Amino acid sequence: MRYSGILMIPLVWGHIILQDVIVGVHAIDANYVAARWGALFWQVYDIALLGFAFAHGMNGLRNVLTDFIRSQSVMRALNVLLFLVWLTLTVIGAVAIMLATQSALATVTSAS
Amino acid sequence: MSTLITSLKTSLTGYVRYRGREGHLSFVLHRLTGLGTLLFLTIHIIDMAAFYWAPDFFRAALDLYRTWPYQIGEIALVFAVLFHGANGIRIAVVDMFLPHKWAIQAERNAVRWTLAITLVLWLPAALYMGIRIFNPEFNLFFG
Repeated sequence: MRYSGILMIPLVWGHIILQDVIVGVHAIDANYVAARWGALFWQVYDIALLGFAFAHGMNGLRNVLTDFIRSQSVMRALNVLLFLVWLTLTVIGAVAIMLATQSALATVTSAS
Repeated sequence: MSTLITSLKTSLTGYVRYRGREGHLSFVLHRLTGLGTLLFLTIHIIDMAAFYWAPDFFRAALDLYRTWPYQIGEIALVFAVLFHGANGIRIAVVDMFLPHKWAIQAERNAVRWTLAITLVLWLPAALYMGIRIFNPEFNLFFG
């Protein structure tokens, strides 16, 4: 937890300061995302964010649950469930970051 | 020993009743900010993945995020991420390099510093984002 956490100080703080504070949700649209994911640097940055932050968060949720769940079999089932949710969302997210640019650029170009 | 530790379970009322002052407060805040951030992160992965998988859903999600309740939530999210990060650094640094700082009085001071640093980072951001809820054109960074 702590090594991913320390790495995420620059990654996540940088992300929220840039996107939520400096740019802001009003300035973000499909063109913005297409431009961002058209740059290899931001693709790598966002995949690192996705990989580290979601794993850190799901592991944290697992830790919280072990404080409350008394039954070991329920906890085992929840571990499997959390792992599957983590894997599914990580894969669909990473695929979107890697493949979105081509299709998005095509849409933007055909629309203009 | 391990059986003893795994059999130690807590309850929600135990979270509220325990009176550990600053250490207790930072523990509860760390969990709440962590779980809150995870909730938004899960939604956020889905809406950004939709940019590729379901573009209409992506646009609908962005429209929703531009409404004022979500923008207030966004300000809270910035607090959650800043506090969780600052408190995480405190825990990791004390645990790895300064174990004597776990003494109660030292920990109370460290928690107060952590809250102060969080507020110094968060208040300007919150003010800026708050003004932008009323005036989306307000922008100090891009002309």
